[in-house]
Amino acid sequence: MRTEEADVAVIGGGPSGMAAAVAARKAGAARVVLIERGEQLGGILNQCIHDGFGTKNMGKALTGPEYAQIYIDQTSESGVSCYLNTMVLNLTPERELTVCSTEGVRRIRAKSVVLCMGCRERTRGAIGIPGYRPAGVFTAGVVQYYMNMRNLAVGRRVVVLGSGDVGLIMARRLTLEGAKVPCVAEILPYPSGLVRNVVQCLEDFGIPLYLSTTVVEIHGRDRITGVTLAKIGPRGGIVPGSQRRVACDTLMLSVGLIAENELAKKAGVTLSPITGGPIVDDRFQTCVPGIFSAGNALQVHDLVDYVSLEAEKAGFGAAEYAYAGKLPQAHIKVSPGKGIRYVVPQYISGTEAVDFSMRVTAPDHDRFVTFRSSGQTVRRMKENVIAPSSMIRFRVRAERFQKIGNELTVELEA
Amino acid sequence: MKGQFTCVVCPTSCIVNAEWNGIELLSTDHAQCKLAWDYVRGEIFDPRRTLTTTVRVDEGEFPLVSVKTDPPVPKGTMFEVMQHLAHVVVKAPVDIGDIVVADVLGTGSNIVATKKISRKVSHPAPGR
Repeated sequence: MRTEEADVAVIGGGPSGMAAAVAARKAGAARVVLIERGEQLGGILNQCIHDGFGTKNMGKALTGPEYAQIYIDQTSESGVSCYLNTMVLNLTPERELTVCSTEGVRRIRAKSVVLCMGCRERTRGAIGIPGYRPAGVFTAGVVQYYMNMRNLAVGRRVVVLGSGDVGLIMARRLTLEGAKVPCVAEILPYPSGLVRNVVQCLEDFGIPLYLSTTVVEIHGRDRITGVTLAKIGPRGGIVPGSQRRVACDTLMLSVGLIAENELAKKAGVTLSPITGGPIVDDRFQTCVPGIFSAGNALQVHDLVDYVSLEAEKAGFGAAEYAYAGKLPQAHIKVSPGKGIRYVVPQYISGTEAVDFSMRVTAPDHDRFVTFRSSGQTVRRMKENVIAPSSMIRFRVRAERFQKIGNELTVELEA
Repeated sequence: MKGQFTCVVCPTSCIVNAEWNGIELLSTDHAQCKLAWDYVRGEIFDPRRTLTTTVRVDEGEFPLVSVKTDPPVPKGTMFEVMQHLAHVVVKAPVDIGDIVVADVLGTGSNIVATKKISRKVSHPAPGR
């Protein structure tokens, strides 16, 4: 089998992969290969035609394709070798990739690897809705692909289950294209998408959002004809007598995203049961030396801006590893405390500033996010409005880590 | 008059109570930054939206090109603009920033391409 050598191999040509590859070149890695299974770079941004990308790191609101093009241009200008229509079949802990394209199967031996595979959508099977299995049940990302890339309509009357950001954005898109969206149902007592999307996508178009409500049955044999909605009580059961039938020809699901990490598992990378992504240190190195992770494969993000920043850091780390063969030990363990669902990175070296990302367990307001080590407060920051749908990011400077032990906890305080 | 608005300028999404009369915004509260003032004033006197959609492409590598309104169009005209764009077809190649429709429906806004679409290259049939 043909084998080629690379300093840094980046798996996935979406926003994280492009940013990681460009950063690795900037940091001096001579041969950087970017492997993408689709026919174009840009990943999910290509179908996200709505605007609002780049407000944090570009200072303006761009559409997905515009944001992608900035990085596509940087990728070609910086001399990254891109392999399109190429699928990575296997990855070993020794960083040997088996890849497949129309030219056949070959090997790539890389000094370091960045995992940027992104995430995929939870489907009907993942949430177990009873009823027949008629046509007309789609995930929001698939509807987005059909409408925005292929010019195909999915239906005329579309009930939306789940209030994830893509679902909210597609509820607006469907309405603009002439379909009727009778309602969006969300099982939780609060929206799982960003507030701005609830306002711009639902309130602007008079689409009702039913909270603590879910689909308990799907009707129709060949094509979906309707769904039964029901209220969900505080302990999780159906509120008796709350069932009602809503007619529709399509059910669109926006019920969460799963980090895509089959390759990470093959390489022996330890995953976090909470994020679904690898456990990483402050340079985004996984437990397998020389294998890094960034973007939605590491943790599902709500803003692409932070994906780019995170992946850039991972790309720098990968270039450094490719050059030096090792990175400084990260021995300080970071754990989520009260009110915090997870925090990334899970290990830090304590020698440089760290941008922590985290999510809270429930919506709240006027809380302090506190970093603590052996009883001492390391850093404390006020947050006015917090929600599980909005990732919180904090930079903690290196000086703050000087006198801490091997444990750092993050928690919410009044 | 009084009302409550959710500022959507940034992801913080401040909830702002505002007071205004027939010609100007008088006060806002609870906003964390000054951007909310302009947003709320716009929402009261001249609500506008950046409408993003797609337009068909002839001879392109993809059947659609994504577009946006620049500057934003009045909120009330969004469905008319969509109707109008349903009949528009552009010819590849298209570049980001190309004006697809100038001054759409007299709103003063242009319909601008947000994606690069190359011409379709005809591939030879895949060999066996």
